[in-house]
Amino acid sequence: MSAPKPPKGHFNLLYFASASSHTGKDMEALPAPLPLRKLFDTLEERYQGIRATVLDHSLVTINLSYVDMPSSEDKDGEDNAVVIQEGDEVAIIPPVSSG
Amino acid sequence: MNSGETSSSQNGSNSSVPRDTSCPLTEEELDRYSRQMIVPGMGKEAQLRLLNAKVLIIGAGGLGCPAAQYLAGAGIGTIGLVDGDVVERSNLHRQVGHSTSRIGQPKVSSLMTHLKGLNPLPNYVAHECHITPLNAADLVAPYDLILDCTDNPATRYLISDVCVLLEKPLVSAASVQTSGQIIVLNCPPTPQGQLEGGPYPPCYRCCFKKPPPANAQLSCGEAGILGPVVGLMGVAQAGEAIKILASALHASPSKKGTPRHPVEPTLLLYSYSLTSFLSPFTFRALKMAPRKKNCFACGEGSQARLTLEGLKRGEPDYEFFCGGLGSGPGQGVLSAEERISPREFVETVQQHGKEEGKGKYVVLDTREKEHFSFGSIEGAVNVPFGKLLSKAAQMKRSGETPEVEDILPPEVKIEDSGGDENVPIYVVCRRGLDSQEAVEKLKEMGLDRGGKRKIVDIAGGMKAWKEQVDPSFPYL
Repeated sequence: MSAPKPPKGHFNLLYFASASSHTGKDMEALPAPLPLRKLFDTLEERYQGIRATVLDHSLVTINLSYVDMPSSEDKDGEDNAVVIQEGDEVAIIPPVSSG
Repeated sequence: MNSGETSSSQNGSNSSVPRDTSCPLTEEELDRYSRQMIVPGMGKEAQLRLLNAKVLIIGAGGLGCPAAQYLAGAGIGTIGLVDGDVVERSNLHRQVGHSTSRIGQPKVSSLMTHLKGLNPLPNYVAHECHITPLNAADLVAPYDLILDCTDNPATRYLISDVCVLLEKPLVSAASVQTSGQIIVLNCPPTPQGQLEGGPYPPCYRCCFKKPPPANAQLSCGEAGILGPVVGLMGVAQAGEAIKILASALHASPSKKGTPRHPVEPTLLLYSYSLTSFLSPFTFRALKMAPRKKNCFACGEGSQARLTLEGLKRGEPDYEFFCGGLGSGPGQGVLSAEERISPREFVETVQQHGKEEGKGKYVVLDTREKEHFSFGSIEGAVNVPFGKLLSKAAQMKRSGETPEVEDILPPEVKIEDSGGDENVPIYVVCRRGLDSQEAVEKLKEMGLDRGGKRKIVDIAGGMKAWKEQVDPSFPYL
């Protein structure tokens, strides 16, 4: 069973591991389109502190494929132009270290 | 402590001498491995590759136990085990290679006992130590394939770096609570810094450039772990290892005439919810990026940054990179009057409250509700730390100054406060770190009414409570 389809004009955002504990959610739908480089700002606004504790070291996928997050370090990174589209599935995947 | 010293328990031939591949399998091997050898794609060639292979399993815990069990069963020629811990009772729900009768024994020897019972044929090598920058290269060098079954970020970066330097394929897995991850890294192994003619496979740093801050790192001891979740990941590690070795997928592509296998790095993510019968997602296979040009360990110019000699000199500093030891948040943030020891709390606050009726103070317990379910301080209200933070963020956005009731669950009512509007708030957590941050947060929200209300941290959390007040308290 896959995640429910996002409502019109939205994309699904999935939270794994500590991203899920920080937000208290497994997933939510956010308005699309959204430039990828605005994603972390949008989330920081909703969940204060999430950037430092979760996002900065997490990997991000769009439709099950890894995407480079445009960061302040490499402003002209080639993926800066990526825009999250309606119906996309974006995932925040923090590293897990235990075993 | 012995660092990297090995003791070898051998059965039959010395496995450091490669076995003659034309040599037939023994009667026992034919019988023992028959069911896996007849699987399409296996056959004699593949089984002989397994019998000639040397695999190092770093960590003999929740991942290492199931991984080792299947690798031993499959007839891997040499299995090395690295771990410096001893078996504890709280390991046994998931670390299936140990047993109740072996509590207190070194994990490596305990797991070896189990593996020998399963299959006495492989050559088992015990490394009863933790992997460190000093011994890492010596531990890893003799093996064909490495399994990272460890439990902390610093060690994960170290193992990945050594595998890049020594050109070893690495099967890395991790698990906490109800999540698991597994990825094959550096396979086929590619010389450090090589980018031309790529794409080449990523290392751990290509995937996870930096570790979570120390205060956001969850350990199984603190956050919990379900046996089947970590078990699945360990079993999957054995599966990947068998696949790589049986099909010789780890053959270095630099050798002429070796067919290049396409690089398709994939992270398998396992995640489910205990509370939803039909979880919306359980397994996800994520397409990862190849080796990164700007990767510290394997990218452009990395030979100048990361070397075997550097490792022994303490460069890079893994503990520092991963937030160091004991650098927990909020230590020493609060002043003396903002903190109270559990004993003092009982002797002054609780006693006083009893004498003059209830409702003279509020105790907020910021542990997760699962911890809270085993008990707390009398009258305490459970507001998990994460919920408190998101509530604080919400309040901040709306610009409101909250009342105590606003941060409490709706079903909780503060009893008659005896006309005192400034009921003091006492905050307690598990070990006394989150609670200090919570005190700060509550003040930031204006709940201290400009200093008229006391907001106090119960120092040391329920751990200290158990030590100072109630030895029978079920602290988990």
